[in-house]
Amino acid sequence: MARFLIIEDNPANLELVRYLLEHAGHQVDGAVNGSDGVEAAAAMTPDLVICDLQLPLLDGYGVLRALRERPAYARLPIVAVTAFSMPDDRKNVMHAGFDGYLSKPIEPETFVAYIEAFLPPTLRLQALSRHAEGN
Amino acid sequence: MHADAVTPLASDFPDAIVVLTPDGRVAHWSPGAQVSFGYSAAEAIGRVFDDLVVPVDRAVEQRKMLIDTLAGGIIAYESVRRRKDGSLLYVDVTTKVLDATAGETPCILSAEKDVTRIKVLRDAKLMEARFRDLLESTPDGIVMANPTGHIVIANTQAERLFGYDPGELRGRSVDLLLPERFRHAHVGHRSNYFLQPRKRAMGSGLDLAGLRKDGTEFPIEISLSPLRTEESEFVMSAIRDISERKSFEHALREKNVELANANQAKDRFLASMSHELRTPLNAIIGFTGTMLMKLPGPLTADQDKQLRTVQTNARHLLALINDLLDVAKIEAGKVELNIEAVDCGQVVEEAVATLRQHAEAKDLQLFVELPDHAIVLQTDKRALSQIVLNLVGNAIKFTEAGSVRLRLSRHARIGGDPSTLIEVQDTGIGIPQEDQVRLFGAFSRVGIPHAKMPEGTGLGLHLSQKLAGLLGGEISLVSDSGVGSTFTLTLPGR
Repeated sequence: MARFLIIEDNPANLELVRYLLEHAGHQVDGAVNGSDGVEAAAAMTPDLVICDLQLPLLDGYGVLRALRERPAYARLPIVAVTAFSMPDDRKNVMHAGFDGYLSKPIEPETFVAYIEAFLPPTLRLQALSRHAEGN
Repeated sequence: MHADAVTPLASDFPDAIVVLTPDGRVAHWSPGAQVSFGYSAAEAIGRVFDDLVVPVDRAVEQRKMLIDTLAGGIIAYESVRRRKDGSLLYVDVTTKVLDATAGETPCILSAEKDVTRIKVLRDAKLMEARFRDLLESTPDGIVMANPTGHIVIANTQAERLFGYDPGELRGRSVDLLLPERFRHAHVGHRSNYFLQPRKRAMGSGLDLAGLRKDGTEFPIEISLSPLRTEESEFVMSAIRDISERKSFEHALREKNVELANANQAKDRFLASMSHELRTPLNAIIGFTGTMLMKLPGPLTADQDKQLRTVQTNARHLLALINDLLDVAKIEAGKVELNIEAVDCGQVVEEAVATLRQHAEAKDLQLFVELPDHAIVLQTDKRALSQIVLNLVGNAIKFTEAGSVRLRLSRHARIGGDPSTLIEVQDTGIGIPQEDQVRLFGAFSRVGIPHAKMPEGTGLGLHLSQKLAGLLGGEISLVSDSGVGSTFTLTLPGR
């Protein structure tokens, strides 16, 4: 089990990602804007952050900068999930220092596996073995 | 002092009376000299006369006249002087050696009469007789000036352009027609002009303005050319009012800025539209997926079937959004091609590998014919793959039985570069002649009964044709209803 923080302002999409991850046995916290997200990250110390780019108060890039400023979060995996899909968007996201990029709409069948791949090694192994048991 | 030799009568004389020492310094400067040249006696006395009022190009002449005077007594000649304000005037000069008393060096008396106006009027009469009809026949304003910058003749167009009455400009300085800030430059142009008299344009690179009599300015273009007569040489200025052109250029510039802004707004709109359309689709496709994955619980057969319909249609909507964005990007010139060496055979084989399942699902045979030697083109691989996938995908979609055949070949053309062909031939329903023209338009599904219409965005061929155009090629079609179709992508073989 890993602890996820989802920063997403669209309630339906937050609910979808939360549902998929909780169903896979993870613990999920949500934040609906960038600054709440940064605060929540400090409070809960997540294993992985999933962050939308277009967010109220502080956008995804701002969240990334704020988190990376703290030494404790220098290696925290942060994955952008965004409905921006112009050709430059992926390039910008990776260049900014996100660990991964997923464009919306997400594929619910493969989403969890894709995200788990960004977890730290021990958590990734746990997740893999649990799925193996589940099967 | 020799100045004493000048009688008091001379001080009332309107002409300039000047006494020069043998080394050319001013010893006496009459009130007439002040009126003619602009310098007061206090400013002039003791200064070298040549420095004060003799233009550079008259210095040699002036020196010679003084020597002749000292040698011969009385000399009369015509010359040009420069006023304190820089303007030039014509003078009739009479010089005379003043009787030297014993032991003193002789001085020179110079009486200089301003004949600018007389000369201009005389020139004007000659020029009027010779050129008036010619000048009136040209559409441009024409102003002819003598070497001192005085207007000898101005045609009616010029008078109208600058707002003067007929004949009013005659004898006036050409500087009158230019705003203050251009005058210095213009005088500079003029004297240079006489040193190198050749035809040239003023104001064609710089923003030159004309000054009307009422003080208003207007943008002009001037073209200068020399005109030599037996009497003198003149500068002919052809002046064109370019207000209309300027305002047109201005409007054009504003329009360009507007267009650039509109283009940016369009780009932003496209990016936002894509974002806004994808956001709700995420929830629709996502939750349909979770239910079909049976995460919330088991489904009845009907629920499963209906959810799949939702899913298929949601994905169709997504494909539409993606294709529409692609079309919009191509039309906005926003597609950046990544030109590199591309092995066309590899692209064909990848497309076939991707779509083989679809063909097999319909029991269609899929044939590939590749040439013996690899065909490598300098092109964009992503765009090429997209076109080939679309053409092969269509062929499979619209063929119920038989085969789909891909052929890659290179064709030499007489007198031209070779071209590369990728042909996609099917044994499908074919496309009637009358529908073929519309086929590459957006949303133009043709020749298919609606009930049997296969899934598709209606943008695929439209997009492929546009992409082919970006790659310097085109897609053509040979088809007969009921017999099948052959789509051919022709690419230039660089």
